[in-house]
Amino acid sequence: MTAEGNAQILDRGYRKFDGQRSGVWGAVRSTAWHSTRSVLGLGRKARHKIAPVLVIVVALIPAIVYVGVAALVGGDEFINDILEGVIPDFSALPRGSLAAIALFTGLVAPEALVRDRRDGMLSLYLSTPLTRITYMAAKLLSVGGLMAMVVLVPTLFYLFGMTFAGLGPEGFGDWASVLVKILVSGTLASLVYALVSMAAASVTDRRAFASLSVILVMLGVLTVVQILVEGAELSINWRLLDPVNMPMEMIARIFGDAGEYPALATERIYLANAGWVTASSTMLWWRYRKAGA
Amino acid sequence: MMAPVSVISASGVSMVFGNNRALDSLSLEVPSGVTGLVGANGSGKTTLMSIVLGLRAPTTGSVSVLGLDPLRQGAELRANVGYGPERNVFPDDMPASDFVKHLAEVRGMPRSEARTRASDALWLVGLGEERFRALGTMSTGQRQRVKLAQAIAADPSLVLLDEPTDGLDPVQRDEMLILIRQISTDYSIDVMLSSHLLEEVERICDNVVALDAGRLVAQGRLDELVGDVEGVTVELAEIPDVPGSIDAVAARLRAAGLDVQHDPGFTRMDVLGASADDIADAVRDAIADSGARTRRIEQRRRKLEDLFHAAKS
Repeated sequence: MTAEGNAQILDRGYRKFDGQRSGVWGAVRSTAWHSTRSVLGLGRKARHKIAPVLVIVVALIPAIVYVGVAALVGGDEFINDILEGVIPDFSALPRGSLAAIALFTGLVAPEALVRDRRDGMLSLYLSTPLTRITYMAAKLLSVGGLMAMVVLVPTLFYLFGMTFAGLGPEGFGDWASVLVKILVSGTLASLVYALVSMAAASVTDRRAFASLSVILVMLGVLTVVQILVEGAELSINWRLLDPVNMPMEMIARIFGDAGEYPALATERIYLANAGWVTASSTMLWWRYRKAGA
Repeated sequence: MMAPVSVISASGVSMVFGNNRALDSLSLEVPSGVTGLVGANGSGKTTLMSIVLGLRAPTTGSVSVLGLDPLRQGAELRANVGYGPERNVFPDDMPASDFVKHLAEVRGMPRSEARTRASDALWLVGLGEERFRALGTMSTGQRQRVKLAQAIAADPSLVLLDEPTDGLDPVQRDEMLILIRQISTDYSIDVMLSSHLLEEVERICDNVVALDAGRLVAQGRLDELVGDVEGVTVELAEIPDVPGSIDAVAARLRAAGLDVQHDPGFTRMDVLGASADDIADAVRDAIADSGARTRRIEQRRRKLEDLFHAAKS
């Protein structure tokens, strides 16, 4: 009998589901992935992809340039010595992408949060196994993951690139230690940026205003702190309020480096980041405690 | 899990927002089938739905849905409940199939299963050919169907639909009501739909929960609450020589102890009572005495509207 002879058209139609449901974690994972796709413009028109892809590429440029230079001119011991004096440490590399990071915060959180509030998806999400807390966890997973693309991924690329160029950490122990530090510090810094930007974006249901709000919190506070410390010559501890630089300082301290502001005690820097996390989480809880009901 | 006796069971549920009592000591039992949650705008329908979904905690009282406590077992409950909100705004640039698939996944379907179920659900609601169209390009009727599709795609035991015919023209409304009935009959999914249109609830529902200003007006099987012949509809004309004769008929019937639904100045009235024969006699006598001219008298079946009328009077 030929294959054509066996061919049938099966109309399965709507039917009951007897399988295992994925539960709350499945709902979180699906929402986070959907949100990430939406922010990156995947499955949407090309114009929605331009800004996020551009910022991610800009964030990668310093790492690409350094790795490129090392790959092209490195190899000789004398040149390697010179390069090691010029190229940044793993803890300092993310600073090279600080502008892109700040810009990305104004892009990601508003898209991830405001759309759901504006177009009614939030009330639908809350009619699923998601609660307000697990919904926020999904969004944090998404925004944090996206922030890691500009905070963590360039340094990871830098580590692997430098390793292949012969300028990476010596010995597997050192190399693994640097990798762990990159992962831990990058994840924590991404978490701080994600939460601060989400809290700032949660104040409005208009995406443009949400972006403005994020930029104001990030760059506005940075500017005020700069004026207070540099202009008014107040205590350097005012820098602890700076949500742009403190995650970067945290990265440096996790690597055991002095960072940009050596006068600031390491414990205070960790506390400052913990403070931003707490304040942002509280703000998000307050904004979403009755949302979507 | 044992099969619950009632799909939804509420005991002494009140919900207070500041000075506003949205629900007032509500106790109800909703059995299987299609249940109409009826009431005017602001009667507490949406508030009750959010309590049923576990999105709000009632100020007092307790609720059980599918045998689960919505507040303590909300996630488990909502995995088995589909919800179609009243609000008709969705991501404009998202294709209907992606939208339905995503919500099926969030409600617990594995990814590959969600895709096929989304497609099946969209075919079921009549949008099979349109499933790849962006939601923003769809008509109101199509978007209402998409809302229904996403509510049923994850094979729920119960579907809550908030004003599912809102914004539809009469033809679309008929089609939507047939679909909702079909979902319950063919796939054994219990449905609770809220509506302020009593006529559509009478058409497709097995059970009714009627609310007025947060209070329970009536609940039970529709055929037990409405349908019996229990009065007459009278349409009269006034003779110029006898002004006020129609109002006089209404007054006389009320004086005879009958329930008369008549707005002063209108020519039509509904007369309700226990015995259709007694009503007919009383109407005949009242018309004869008042001097009004009869245009039409017909037997009248009790409607949901009467329950509200009786509750208010």
